[in-house]
Amino acid sequence: MNVYQPYLVRIANITDETPDTRTLRLEFVDPAVAESFSFKAGQFGEYSVFGAGECTFCIASPPTRKGYIECSFKCVGKVTRAMRELGVGDVMGFRGPYGNSFPVEAFYGKSVVFVAGGIGLAPVRCVIWNVLDLRDKFKNVTIIYGARSVSDLVYKRELEEWGRRPDVKLHVTVDPGGETPDWKGQVGFVPAVVEKAAPSSVNAVAVVCGPPIMIKFTLPVLRKLGFTDDRIYTTLENRMKCGIGKCGRCNIGPVYVCKDGPVFTASQIAALPPEF
Amino acid sequence: MDAMTISRADLLGLAEDLLGSGIRVVGPAKASRGMVEYRAVAAASELALEGPELPARSLKEFYLPPTEPLFAWKSLAGGKVELMEARMAPPPTVVIGARPCDAAGVEVLDKVMGWDYRDEPYFARREATTIVSIACAGIDSSCFCTSVGLGPDATRGSDLLLVPIEGGYRAEVLTEKGARLVSGHQGRFRPDSGAAQAQEFKQKARAKVAAHAPPDARPLRSWLETHFDHPLWAEVALRCHGCGACAAVCPTCHCFDIVDEPEGVTTGVRRRNWDTCQTARFTVHASGHNPRSDQNSRIRQRVMHKFMIYPKRFNEILCTGCGRCVRACPGGMDLLEVISRVSALAGGAG
Amino acid sequence: MTELRELARKLLSDGQVKVVIGYEEGPRGVRPLFATDGAAADRLIFDERCVQNLATYLDRRRVHVARLGKPAIVAKPCDVKAVAGLLRETQLKREDVVIIGVRCGGVLADPKSLQRLGPDTMADRCRTCETREPGLVDYLVGPMPEAVRGQSGRDAKIAELDAMTPEERWSFWQKELSRCTRCQACRQVCPLCYCDRCMADKTEPQWIESSPHPRGILAWHLIRAIHLAGRCVDCGECERACPVSIPLGLITRKVAQVVAQRFQHHPTDDPSVPSPIGTWRSDDPQEFIL
Repeated sequence: MNVYQPYLVRIANITDETPDTRTLRLEFVDPAVAESFSFKAGQFGEYSVFGAGECTFCIASPPTRKGYIECSFKCVGKVTRAMRELGVGDVMGFRGPYGNSFPVEAFYGKSVVFVAGGIGLAPVRCVIWNVLDLRDKFKNVTIIYGARSVSDLVYKRELEEWGRRPDVKLHVTVDPGGETPDWKGQVGFVPAVVEKAAPSSVNAVAVVCGPPIMIKFTLPVLRKLGFTDDRIYTTLENRMKCGIGKCGRCNIGPVYVCKDGPVFTASQIAALPPEF
Repeated sequence: MDAMTISRADLLGLAEDLLGSGIRVVGPAKASRGMVEYRAVAAASELALEGPELPARSLKEFYLPPTEPLFAWKSLAGGKVELMEARMAPPPTVVIGARPCDAAGVEVLDKVMGWDYRDEPYFARREATTIVSIACAGIDSSCFCTSVGLGPDATRGSDLLLVPIEGGYRAEVLTEKGARLVSGHQGRFRPDSGAAQAQEFKQKARAKVAAHAPPDARPLRSWLETHFDHPLWAEVALRCHGCGACAAVCPTCHCFDIVDEPEGVTTGVRRRNWDTCQTARFTVHASGHNPRSDQNSRIRQRVMHKFMIYPKRFNEILCTGCGRCVRACPGGMDLLEVISRVSALAGGAG
Repeated sequence: MTELRELARKLLSDGQVKVVIGYEEGPRGVRPLFATDGAAADRLIFDERCVQNLATYLDRRRVHVARLGKPAIVAKPCDVKAVAGLLRETQLKREDVVIIGVRCGGVLADPKSLQRLGPDTMADRCRTCETREPGLVDYLVGPMPEAVRGQSGRDAKIAELDAMTPEERWSFWQKELSRCTRCQACRQVCPLCYCDRCMADKTEPQWIESSPHPRGILAWHLIRAIHLAGRCVDCGECERACPVSIPLGLITRKVAQVVAQRFQHHPTDDPSVPSPIGTWRSDDPQEFIL
């Protein structure tokens, strides 16, 4: 079997997070693979719909949960639209895990501040659960998440679960104008909510993911709170095909997103040429 | 290093011997309209070994074909899917008459193809192939092999290097594979002679190429690392059509696309096809955002990849100075000129 | 040459245009020049080695060229026909380009050779070309050349192909096209292949396969031939650009013959002449449908 041939995975569960975002829970068809498969938080895979092609998504479920992997996607093109047509029991392909990962062990003993926007919560969710599954290894856990409107919030059940936990400080917000009459969370852009929540940067790291504009305005807020660029982590995306550094597509200057990323610190990103 | 000699007639005879024993022989051969190409030949008489033209494309396609199936799928009842591996049994092959720049290109590509994940389709062909190169006399003013650490007599990537002498060639045995080829066809080879003639040939060829070649491109890496934004790219890109002819003929361009092709309602093949960073769509995201949205950035990517990114990662320049990109380009793009310009900007560093 | 250079200098210094797209002597042969000042304008040349069709650079999707500003273009009669095509198809407004027409007696088939221009050394398309002096232009430069005429090698080859059986003809094209790797150089250099998103690049739906296997290659060349019918000006760029010498000129010439015969249309530098592919006439031949 050559390195481009995927594992077979079966759709075990489908959750529609929002009108245009869906999460698939996938189980490996081969029990031996299901048994041995492991990955680290932040890694990604190439998911196939045979006949349509492959698509790159992070593995959205945590590595601490065995037996399945999850991905969340929006319909934006040929492969995602084909994924939307699939149902429980249908078989897809998966190649991975590829890329680097969040250095979760290096976060042991520290506080972790998660900031996410929109579907950017997907790669962050993986780390959140990784952290919560090993909760006593970390100090404070803060989650700040926002979306354009209430219906755009993803992982709504999990947000409720995180909100109920006494060992997690959760702030959920929607953009001004995105609230419903019965909305009990905050209203305001994510960077403003981060500023208001003012999580401590003492012995803390930040994991940030979301639309570029959110990241652009969140980084200065975090820096003002005392987070240095080498303690702010994020993920980058780029157009990919092989996922293993050979097809020459995903590089930003000398850095290959599929091999040196997708996880980068803000200081690594600052050193990249402006081509992403 | 072992050396033998082989006459021109015996070299063709060697090709016939190989063909007779069922081995595929690839070499430069005339195609329509005066063109020369590397292709599998049915008879030694098809080989056009004396040049002077460089084959239109490189040897790359014998290791990384323009299109190749990666695997096939079949959808079965009950939502099941069966995957069939692509058969990987490349025919044993001997290339006779490779140019040193093309043989070197294969060795340069080994680095990325073996980077952490081993590209089996590529290496299966690599293992099945022996390369017999013929040292080059230097082709024309588009050659610049001497500027990238190689030369018309470069040995990289070759198993046997034949240097033209009177009546035939002096054969330098470079690898195990080369030694096995010689020992398996002892009758065709004679004892070593003509060393001085061979040396003279090499020196003359080198001098010919070096006379017009730009400065050494190897030191340019550090200038490129620190001049991502420079007006040079806007100037150089104007003539470029973004056509990708350069990538198609290049011995080291390896970027590829992966596509699914249904072949029926329930069956299909996933293929890998040649692609090029010079097209507008190469890096476009599903959202429509394109990090390289104009030809300036795409030309920059090409030069950077070859002379900075690949060297930084693998300590190899992703270019063998064959000059095909210059000859093939319909817009008159000129990599020799770019190297000279960058060298001048870098303060004559090389 | 002086006439051209002085004109270019004047257009630039007057501010009438921001760039003059023409030809210059490069280190390895004649190549396009984008002159944005007088010093560069002094490098402009025109002779029988100037084979490139510079009209390709007028495509406003080439943002890196478009952002230089309003262009003047040095154009041979065949090149002007391409500009007329762009005007006809509303890809360009007449006032957005200054056309410097050059009188042309033909160009070399191999511009890198050091041959003199003659019936055997000139490009095939020039051998039967009637147009020495382009219309539509804002300026006309260069001396009126001698009419060097020759026999079209392509016409002879097409006649030979037409006389073959379908199997023989198929075999010829299968062999020639087998070298194609879908590099799309033929498309990129063509002034009339300007679609925002080429049909061959679309994935939803996937009209044709992108792979360079025999059916993908055939699909590509068929689509291109059909989409260029009546629009191609026979500038020869596609064949020149092909890195593996596929005789694309045979296809373009054959299609042009069919268009001339069926629709009485020939490539023209008059943008007001309607395009056969874009116009419906009640007397269009349709015996093959009915």
